[in-house]
Amino acid sequence: MKTLIIAAAALAMLATGAQAQTVRIATEGAYAPWNFLDDSGKPAGFEIDLGNELCARAALDCTFQTNEWDSIIPNLIAGNYDAIMAGMSITDERKQSIDFSDNYFPPDPSKYIVRAGTTLDFGALSGKSVGVQGATIQAAYAEATFGATNTIKAFGTADQALADLNAGNVDVILADGSYLSEIVAGSSGSLELTGPDVMIGGGVGVGLRKADDDLEGKLNAAIGEMKKDGSLDALIIKWFPDKAPGPIFAGG
Amino acid sequence: MLDILPQWMKDGIGDDLLFWLGYFTNGKHLTWYASVQYTLAAALFGALTALVMGLAGAALRNARFGPARLVGALYINMVRGVPDVLFFLFFPLAFEQLVELIRAQAVCTPEGLAANAGQWPPCDAANWFLGTPEYLALACVSLGIVYGAFAASVISGAMNAVPRGQLEAARAFGFSRAQVLWRFHIRQMWIYALPGLSNVWMLIIKATSLLSLLQIADIVLWADRLGAPNFTRSAGLVHPDWRWGYYLVLLVFYILVTFLSEKVFAAVTRWAGRGMSVANPA
Repeated sequence: MKTLIIAAAALAMLATGAQAQTVRIATEGAYAPWNFLDDSGKPAGFEIDLGNELCARAALDCTFQTNEWDSIIPNLIAGNYDAIMAGMSITDERKQSIDFSDNYFPPDPSKYIVRAGTTLDFGALSGKSVGVQGATIQAAYAEATFGATNTIKAFGTADQALADLNAGNVDVILADGSYLSEIVAGSSGSLELTGPDVMIGGGVGVGLRKADDDLEGKLNAAIGEMKKDGSLDALIIKWFPDKAPGPIFAGG
Repeated sequence: MLDILPQWMKDGIGDDLLFWLGYFTNGKHLTWYASVQYTLAAALFGALTALVMGLAGAALRNARFGPARLVGALYINMVRGVPDVLFFLFFPLAFEQLVELIRAQAVCTPEGLAANAGQWPPCDAANWFLGTPEYLALACVSLGIVYGAFAASVISGAMNAVPRGQLEAARAFGFSRAQVLWRFHIRQMWIYALPGLSNVWMLIIKATSLLSLLQIADIVLWADRLGAPNFTRSAGLVHPDWRWGYYLVLLVFYILVTFLSEKVFAAVTRWAGRGMSVANPA
């Protein structure tokens, strides 16, 4: 047992030593078009394009890896990777445990999605089953707003929530509007948006460990540069066509 | 992937079938097929560890030295009661933190400790990053410890089932204690242990479906990912919830593995039963 521990420790030291040079970025890989796994099984999407561009501008060597959403912050703190780009909204609650870069996506309304033909009274919702992705801003909002008289179902991924909405196991899902708009278009009429927009969250930024001020500075400089020259707007419009024609960040 | 097919074959297959062939051989699906290596590796090395733990546990359980007997009995009786899912979550995490704690004594500077006060790991330098190979190794050890207790119980019972007369006769011929143990007791034990061990192997096979709990992208995790409905055109083929189909494939896979295992165990039982006085169960 003792030799096993020593061998494991030695192996771990080697591993950490070899990985010190690159910036490892974690993403969820299940939140198209923000981040998803493409047909070849590799991470792709808006945040992968953006991350690669930011790293090129900041002269960093970056790799993407996937991590499940509900453990994505603990594993950042534990040092399994160095940054999070996973459509994560900047909130005061999260800021207590990690730092954020400047936002690279503006505050975006959350929306309700239902099976086509469902009408709900959001002023007095009761006895309904409301689906959310666990540990998201929408989960906190739904719990606070509807939790008393409705059932809140938290799912591991947004895809699973949608699957249950499709199967009729939940009545309505609250999620990022930027995530839902292409889904409604692709559902060939079976799903639709309804009810009021909900403004929560302070935009989306890169999640970083509190001690990594150097990395934060480099990323902020690159994000600022991309905001100013309009390339960030172009990238957002490429992946989120309904944000066209802008301007989103460019020109103040 | 399908580009290698000659044109006449493509024409013969037809566009529809060709599309589905292409879909089920795209990179994502190939990764799914390849991820079966994690399941098989966990089953084989987990079973091997379980066998070693089982032999050790049975040896302790039947030892002449009192405290060793106590340790063996404790291991067999307590670990068998632990849910495998729980142990799967507990052991890798506890082991990781133990290694980090030991490393922290060696590598942490006072500044590093101060920067991480109240957090884990004690300092950044002590952090141990667990990737898929590390998690896979820990998964095998976890399986080995949990199912080793079952194997120990089976082997211990089988050791007691070997007829006393065989061992007494061996001693009467002048074999030493160790020789009696290795050449007669353990060798004759297998025929009694195999039915029970084949059961433990089935349990281990089934427990490999837990690998995704340790962030290993195994067949279950990929089935979940591939089957999840996709309504986003930019992320590939738009399709509704297909998870039941992918789970069905997994069910068939596990049944096939069970079927093959039965065949192998039948052969091993025939081998272990050669020249034995007991009726051959196979």
